[in-house]
Amino acid sequence: MSLNRDAQHFLTIIEANKGIIYKVANAYCRDTENRKDLIQEITIQLWLAFPKYDESYRITTWMYRIALNVSISFYRKENHRSGIAQPLHPEIISLQEDNEVPDPDSDITLLHRFIKELKEIDRAIILLYLEENSQQEIAEMLGITPTNVSTRILRIKEQIRLKFSALKS
Amino acid sequence: MEDKEWIALWKSYDQKLDNNLILNRKNAEDITRIKIKSLLGSMKPLKIFTIVTGILWAVFVDTLIVATFHFASPFFLISAAIQVLLTKLAIGIYLYQMVLIYQTDISEPLLATQERIARLQSSTIWVTRFLFLQFPVWTTFYIGDGLLKNGGITWYVIQGIVTLTFTGLAVWFFVNIKYENREKQWFRLIFNGKEWEPVVKAMGMLREIESYR
Repeated sequence: MSLNRDAQHFLTIIEANKGIIYKVANAYCRDTENRKDLIQEITIQLWLAFPKYDESYRITTWMYRIALNVSISFYRKENHRSGIAQPLHPEIISLQEDNEVPDPDSDITLLHRFIKELKEIDRAIILLYLEENSQQEIAEMLGITPTNVSTRILRIKEQIRLKFSALKS
Repeated sequence: MEDKEWIALWKSYDQKLDNNLILNRKNAEDITRIKIKSLLGSMKPLKIFTIVTGILWAVFVDTLIVATFHFASPFFLISAAIQVLLTKLAIGIYLYQMVLIYQTDISEPLLATQERIARLQSSTIWVTRFLFLQFPVWTTFYIGDGLLKNGGITWYVIQGIVTLTFTGLAVWFFVNIKYENREKQWFRLIFNGKEWEPVVKAMGMLREIESYR
């Protein structure tokens, strides 16, 4: 069965930005199985919202908003879509196995761990910051002022810095 | 370790993802083919069913009050009136939840959407508070003239103790069912289970959102 133009366009966007979906899901789900479900849920919500996509926003802004909103709600609601997900295969985006075994003490593993220990909204802020979004862009995605974003970033960075120092000392 | 180093680390992680992430096109295509409701949309049928059942019950009790107004015991009339008032308040909460479901747009800024979803989930706690507030009327609605005249002192004492205990408990629960008491043993006993966990977490989320304003 061939896909309509909307579906093809949607899949091209998902292919080009699959990293956003994966990184957001990974920040909110520790467990691999739950992460698969979350990635599936984000993709479903993106598809459902796609006809209403407002082109005055960048596609990445729109994707971040939906991915973060779904992830935070998913995080709160454990038993989210039981039964409904049945006809779909949950493996939408997967990480190809490389032979490298992640070192639990490596800086990137620790950074991931410290991000996962933050409160849900702080986690979103630092994720967007590390993705090199400007404070104005982060403010638009969150719906708070850029000044507030700046204050929050400083506080979060301090928290993470302290955790790194505590481990390294 | 400084934040510039974190960003460099993040970029290397990003690069690794670019090389290793695979989109399973077949599974993604399936999503675009099947008819599926949004998570919030899937909540609508149950809410509508509850609202309709609640309205039918309220109409039934209202009709009963009007039809028996001239001959029913005042205990029955007052008990029924309180019960139906609390039912109407609970229906009001379900209607408010429906409005929130219709207003929620998952592509809106994070705080606005999360606040709506958290309000939607945490408002369920109000229905429970009203449920507890109904306790005393279930101990008084059957009291009629016959019982009042012939009940005797033992009945008066037992009825008094039961009604006062239920009233005390109802008011106590109504006042104390709140987020601050979430760690108390009695709270965990009542709100134990998967269906309550998101409600309690939503109450916490509302407070967190407040701190970002």
